[in-house]
Amino acid sequence: MSTLPAPALLRAEGVGCRFGGVRALSNVNLAVGEGEIFGLIGPNGAGKTTLFNVISGLTRASEGRVLWRGGSLEGLGPERISRCGIARTFQNLRLFDNLSVLDNVRVGMHRVAGAPLAGALLASPAFRRRQAEVQDQAMELLELFDLAALAPQRAADLAYGDRRRLEMARALATGPSLLLLDEPAAGMNPAEKDDLCARIARIRERFALTVLIIEHHVPLMMRLCDRLAVLNFGERIALGSPEEVRHDPRVIEAYLGGRPAGQDP
Amino acid sequence: MDATLPVQMVLGALLGLSVYLPLATGQLSLATPGFYVIGGYVAALLSTGVAALGGGEPSYPLPSLLLEMGLAALLAAAVAVVIGRPVLKLRGIYLAIATIALVEILRVLNLNLPFTGGAVGIFAIPQPFADPWGYLLLSALLLAAVCWLCARLGAMRLGRAQAAVRDDELAAACMGIDTAQVKLTAFVISAVIAALTGVISAHFLNTWNARQGSFDASITTLAFVVFGGSRTWVGPVLGGLVLTALPELLRPVGDLRLIVYGLVILAGPVVFPQGVITPERLQHWARHRPWRRPSPRAGA
Ligand SMILES: Nc1ncnc2c1ncn2[C@@H]1O[C@H](COP(=O)(O)OP(=O)(O)OP(=O)(O)O)[C@@H](O)[C@H]1O
Ligand SMILES: [Mg+2]
Repeated sequence: MSTLPAPALLRAEGVGCRFGGVRALSNVNLAVGEGEIFGLIGPNGAGKTTLFNVISGLTRASEGRVLWRGGSLEGLGPERISRCGIARTFQNLRLFDNLSVLDNVRVGMHRVAGAPLAGALLASPAFRRRQAEVQDQAMELLELFDLAALAPQRAADLAYGDRRRLEMARALATGPSLLLLDEPAAGMNPAEKDDLCARIARIRERFALTVLIIEHHVPLMMRLCDRLAVLNFGERIALGSPEEVRHDPRVIEAYLGGRPAGQDP
Repeated sequence: MDATLPVQMVLGALLGLSVYLPLATGQLSLATPGFYVIGGYVAALLSTGVAALGGGEPSYPLPSLLLEMGLAALLAAAVAVVIGRPVLKLRGIYLAIATIALVEILRVLNLNLPFTGGAVGIFAIPQPFADPWGYLLLSALLLAAVCWLCARLGAMRLGRAQAAVRDDELAAACMGIDTAQVKLTAFVISAVIAALTGVISAHFLNTWNARQGSFDASITTLAFVVFGGSRTWVGPVLGGLVLTALPELLRPVGDLRLIVYGLVILAGPVVFPQGVITPERLQHWARHRPWRRPSPRAGA
């Protein structure tokens, strides 16, 4: 029971989420500080993605609330939350498949890409200059993710690893201060995972980001994250530095199968 | 040469584009005939009822016609905003059914309102043009303007947002796009196009009644888009032009013509599942220019 609120960028206060009889989250408390890379681990079905959905406004919490820079995000839809500076990727990739790689990123720049209507309809020089600027920025982001050469391709035609990176580029295009990454390394080989790790650290520096990341590959998370939270059956069972979490008996129990998977909690 | 058929074709293309715009945002709205009828009644009631507009003169003044178009556009936009807010929360087939219901409600209203002329409707609508060529010019100008708008949308933020909402509405919302607003905007533009088309059509047909906007019309205009293709605006234009012309061109075949017409509509999606025109096909044509003869030196 702390009385002084720590300076947290994002704070979950007693967040609970029920789907019918399933308790996907119960009484989850955590605070993510500015500039942190904060990891979220836990077995399948632990509620990690649900927590992301609550933070990004896709799912409403049944209890508790999420605070962003001290203000409540309660009742805000995903577009408002995106405008607050929270961006996310999806565990099962949700790219705009029929749009080009470049347009996927440009859609991400929606908020900044506005232009006066008359100029847009008449294709005025000012409008074209602005469009060129937007395109340059989008290409810069694509270069950062080694996707520039694929810019004109349809997103659906990309290889799996490229699609994962494109989703990150698209999320970054919204200009976030907090980036939520839902299993960005899923399906990658060890070399690709290393590359991804380095890339996340790099973009954190470059864009002054705070990163909240879900990932099953524990060694990678131990290396990458400043702090970790562990979810199990919707409950936050541990929180702390990688070293602390690694030796927490409840975490060991959750991971080594204290309770068989699928058993009712 | 008689320009009657070309006028009808151009009006068909406009209605096709009216169906296309919400569809480009992933919304299957069949409300187009409803707004078309609203536009037609605005024209019919004003031109026959308001003497100051010059309905008694041998040729209906052009400024009066433009005024009608302005008012019809405003009315359609207002109705679209009011109806669109709740209705666009529906998805897929549910939206389609709700918009069909809207068209039906308007039809029954128009049959029974005291001022719409009942089943007979309103006739002797004054003519701004002496022959169909005037109508062809006006409707072609409108079509050109709408095509220009559609073409520009591709380079605009709104157009990209539409495509994003069509692909994955939830992901689009996570990009900070106000998806409800994007859908409503497309719906309103669609309504305005249909209403403007209705104004021209009412004068052109000389008479207007509730039958202009019916369930049949919803399906016909949808067929324009399905046949032509819904992935680029060129598709609905082609679909509107061709499918409007077809029944007329098939007149010599006699009673068989409706069967042939039906077969064409059926064969279209079977042979071209994405419609006759797709972005890929357009790109291919732009690259290879099959309509150009090979240059004399090409074979050497
Ligand atoms: N929309 C939903 N409706 C019903 N149940 C849901 C919904 N979303 C999640 N759940 C349930 O909530 C629980 C937590 O799911 P969640 O996807 O958050 O787990 P996770 O930790 O992300 O797992 P994984 O590692 O497999 O991705 C699961 O039992 C899941 O079936
Ligand atoms: Mg998950």
